[in-house]
Amino acid sequence: MRYALAILISAVVTAAPTPSKIPRGADGKPDLGGDGVWFPLRLEDMANVPDSKVDVPFLPWAKKMFDENRANKGNDTASRCLPQGIPRLTYTANAFQILQLPNRIVFLYEGGTHIWRTVWMDGRAHPKDPNPDWLGDAVGHWEGDTLVVDSVGFNDRTWLDDAGHPHTERLHVVEKYTRTGPLAMRYEVVIDDPGAYSQSWTASTSIPFRPGVKLTEYVCTGDRP
Amino acid sequence: MIKAQIALILLAPAFVFAQQPPRLAKDPGPFLETPPPDQGRGRGPKPVAGPAPHLADGRPDFGGDGAWYPGFSGNIAERQWKGVKSADRHVDVPFMPWALEVFNQRVESLSKDDPEARCQPVGVPRYMFDPYPFQIIQTRNQVVFLFEGDNYLWRVVPIGPGAAHPKNLKPTWLGDSIGHYEGDTLVVDVVGFNGRAWMDQAGHPQSEKQHLVERYTRTDSLTLKYEVTIDDPGAYTQTWAASNTVSWRPGLQLGESICQENEKDSRHMIGEVKPK
Repeated sequence: MRYALAILISAVVTAAPTPSKIPRGADGKPDLGGDGVWFPLRLEDMANVPDSKVDVPFLPWAKKMFDENRANKGNDTASRCLPQGIPRLTYTANAFQILQLPNRIVFLYEGGTHIWRTVWMDGRAHPKDPNPDWLGDAVGHWEGDTLVVDSVGFNDRTWLDDAGHPHTERLHVVEKYTRTGPLAMRYEVVIDDPGAYSQSWTASTSIPFRPGVKLTEYVCTGDRP
Repeated sequence: MIKAQIALILLAPAFVFAQQPPRLAKDPGPFLETPPPDQGRGRGPKPVAGPAPHLADGRPDFGGDGAWYPGFSGNIAERQWKGVKSADRHVDVPFMPWALEVFNQRVESLSKDDPEARCQPVGVPRYMFDPYPFQIIQTRNQVVFLFEGDNYLWRVVPIGPGAAHPKNLKPTWLGDSIGHYEGDTLVVDVVGFNGRAWMDQAGHPQSEKQHLVERYTRTDSLTLKYEVTIDDPGAYTQTWAASNTVSWRPGLQLGESICQENEKDSRHMIGEVKPK
């Protein structure tokens, strides 16, 4: 019995992240920055990655749209240099940086259109009637060592991923960023969009940290006639 | 004898050209015959300036609850341009002949080929002269500019002893920046430009050889003095400097500005005024 308990305790201890290995800021919160960048793998279909396979609860129109998008990438606004949106920016192979400030967290994305995103951390609520835009309105808080980002107010012109999961303006995204070590982060995202899916669904992936790498200038707009 | 005559004929136009003093294109004049009332954003009761804030460790603080707003300064070398206040001072720009020709062509065609109007990055130093608000974020070893326009871009300036320009720079729109603090002034050194951005809406060109030294000083809580030294042996015969005063707008938040969304303006830029 004692032996079994010891195994159980040891299992729990091993399973929990070892806090000492996570870099931390002066406020004791995990430091999601450092000398380097987060460099996601390109994962085309966020619902079908090696360690996260999801049976997506499509509404019929959304399934039809998804099949069409996947077959014909011509509808992809990102291919016309428009912002990739959320969570797609975390599923494309473009580096990003996270800057932690007292009242907000700022994401700098190399990809898409070299854009940035503010996550307000000062306890404010979403605006009542946000103007729908590409990155939405984001507010965040800490749950233990996990940064939780809640976003609404999206336009319906982005895809959730390269495969073409569609969404509507009713999209509500909850992202969880957990640094599991100096070189790794677990990313979990809840997609809640009653306009496109019959219930909310969750995808996740791991994002490696590349020490010493700097963001570079990536300007998608190209040369227009 | 015939050869000499041909040589004379060939030289003649060059000789005539050399006799003319360099001609600088004139200000195309106000945008509108009647300027609209001031509709500046984030206005309210006129804020009162206090002393320039500092961070806990003594560095100047370029942030706060609000944003910087340069206004429209269409020509970095003139005090007045297109009917409104422009840069802080007039400069006799030491153009190389080709640069003057390009500049004149751009002004006289009403900036119709402006890359910024085609959703390309605004560029440096133009961000400090264009009517888009921006914020400055300071971390331990970086200064980050967040720009609302033209494409919601960011710009990172590494700070401190470890910051150095890479040896083999790939030319870019914003160049490669490194910075340090000199007392209350942030000094940023920029090289590695692709030469495609315009330095202002009027159209001062830059070449890939451009080297900028920017100086940012918050002189009081509401004022940012911007000085830029332009050393570009590819376009100008000597180093010159421009400056602007950028205002702090308390409470102003940056909005998402995605220029290439439904962009329909540039096709109407034809380089001439159509008769009414």
